[in-house]
Amino acid sequence: MLNLIQNEWMKLWHQKATWAMLGILVVIIIAFSGLNKYYEERETRDWHTVEKEQIETYTQILAEEDAASNSYIQDEITISEYRLAHDIAPPNGMTVADFMDFGVDLITIVTLFAVIVGASIVSSEFSTGTIKMLLTRPASRAKILTSKLVTTFIYGLFMLAVNFALVWIVAFILFNGNTGTLLEVVNGQVQEVNVWKNLMEVSSLSAGNFIMSVLFAFLIGSVFRSSALAIGLTMFLSFMGGMVVMLLSKYSFAKYIWLAHTDLTQYANGGQHMLTGVTMPFSITVLAVYALIFLVISYWSFMKRDVTA
Amino acid sequence: MAQQPIVQLRNLTKVIRGKKLIDSLNLDLYPGQITGFLGPNGAGKTTTIRMMTGLMHPTEGEVLIEGQSLQGHYEEAISKVGVIVENPEMYKYMSGYKNLLHFARMHRQVSKERIDEVVRQVGLEKRIHEKVSTYSLGMRQRLGLAQALLHRPKFLILDEPTNGLDPAGIREFRTYLRKIAAEEGVSVFVSSHLLSEIELMCDRIAIIQNGQLIDIREMHNEAETVYYVEAEPLAKVQEVAQQLQIEYIVQAKGLELQIPKEQVPQLVNELVAQQVNIFAIQPQQKTLEEQFLEMTGGGQIAESHTK
Ligand SMILES: Nc1ncnc2c1ncn2[C@@H]1O[C@H](COP(=O)(O)OP(=O)(O)OP(=O)(O)O)[C@@H](O)[C@H]1O
Ligand SMILES: [Mg+2]
Repeated sequence: MLNLIQNEWMKLWHQKATWAMLGILVVIIIAFSGLNKYYEERETRDWHTVEKEQIETYTQILAEEDAASNSYIQDEITISEYRLAHDIAPPNGMTVADFMDFGVDLITIVTLFAVIVGASIVSSEFSTGTIKMLLTRPASRAKILTSKLVTTFIYGLFMLAVNFALVWIVAFILFNGNTGTLLEVVNGQVQEVNVWKNLMEVSSLSAGNFIMSVLFAFLIGSVFRSSALAIGLTMFLSFMGGMVVMLLSKYSFAKYIWLAHTDLTQYANGGQHMLTGVTMPFSITVLAVYALIFLVISYWSFMKRDVTA
Repeated sequence: MAQQPIVQLRNLTKVIRGKKLIDSLNLDLYPGQITGFLGPNGAGKTTTIRMMTGLMHPTEGEVLIEGQSLQGHYEEAISKVGVIVENPEMYKYMSGYKNLLHFARMHRQVSKERIDEVVRQVGLEKRIHEKVSTYSLGMRQRLGLAQALLHRPKFLILDEPTNGLDPAGIREFRTYLRKIAAEEGVSVFVSSHLLSEIELMCDRIAIIQNGQLIDIREMHNEAETVYYVEAEPLAKVQEVAQQLQIEYIVQAKGLELQIPKEQVPQLVNELVAQQVNIFAIQPQQKTLEEQFLEMTGGGQIAESHTK
């Protein structure tokens, strides 16, 4: 099995597309960080003065506006007063944590890259005819498919690791000087925002979309043996899926469509699912069932069908 | 033959969408023997070979390799088989060597030394580290042969392996197959349209038409031979033939006599006794091509045979 994965890994990195995707990721990170550094606006005055000014402006607005939009402004005033009282500086310019947030956004791109690999890792063997060389070996078809699936996920994880490592390094080099603490008001109490915990939470919830997209692309790629179809369909569903679920939301079966659950990040920071009454355990169960279905169809089709390529 | 067959096809049948492409094929292949697989286009050679290598699942019947069912014990059975199905497609973006390394890893115990040895055998040493996309057709065929031989298979299945090889390549290939068959007892099953090739290479041929095996015959068997005799006067020769009850056909300068090999000396003695001037006596074996065309009825591609 290890040999098979080693083989898939070797083939993957001998293809230009694999390197191109890595290159694109690196370029995006570096370009974005450069732009941010270039356009970064930093406060040059002492932060105490700025906070005092802000309290004055907000109090004025508060006096003029009606009560509805008040809670946000009220919280801002509370936070500024808290800073002055306890001598806690606000972040100045972009911080390392802000920039890591960008790394979390890039998970979408990495997911797309993993989808491309998952979609073509099986189908390309058929389109080039190498499948008959691969299957006439003492390795069962199940093992071969497994090695391809595992390799796709290893590639995805590798790209995620590259993404976060690079974003962190760049953030550290460019923005490490920018310190300060982010505060928020929860139930009338001022407290420090745990930015790292939030990053972790959103990242791990992104796994839902990542895993389901890859499995779906893998399914279409191995059943229809066409990578274009697999990539196209997966992308289409990930863009349009939310809309489809919205349209169907008045029917009760809508919550049994896996597309309604792929975006688990809606639960981040105590968020709610867009369909009423749907909880995170329910979402995860639905996803798990669909993941199993996708896998069963992929394996069944790959193992049973004749190879005429 | 006293030996146990390495490969047995038992009642092998393939039906696709109601069409019977392969119809109850039975065939045994023996160690050390090279069997040619002939048939017109669309006869079902590739389909049979795909079933023998597990690429297609038979509708009925089975393929046994050393007594083990290919369907039941796939990994064990296929590890004894080396395969080229139609064109050997390789990973074009990798070097020939990396391709071989890739396939070697899928077998137990194929060492680096073995890879080098095979590369030398197929004569690719100079180009093996270049990308396959830069190879010529014949070089790809050689690489294809190399991957089929890597794990020292006991049984080699080749679907049109000489396609694209140059004359020297074909000759080397033939010599090599004969060598591994004779020395290592490898059983070879080779389909080809090059009848002269098959004739030179094979011990035995199986002929398939419309999905049915219509003939299996040993090559070089001279049971029913025709001898051409050029002599003067022809009338005397005819007399002798009639005396000895030999069938003959009169040709311009001689006779074609249907006569077993053992009877040839007797005939010669008789002719000499009758003071006939003999210029030549030569065996007239029908070429495989003639036999093949006779049996399969010319070049027509059979209609898709529904049943
Ligand atoms: N997947 C398929 N579906 C339907 N019919 C098929 C399929 N594959 C092959 N056939 C049919 O099966 C028959 C045998 O085809 P096959 O490729 O085995 O012939 P062949 O003997 O290898 O011919 P050639 O000498 O041209 O290589 C043909 O009539 C072909 O049309
Ligand atoms: Mg063929």
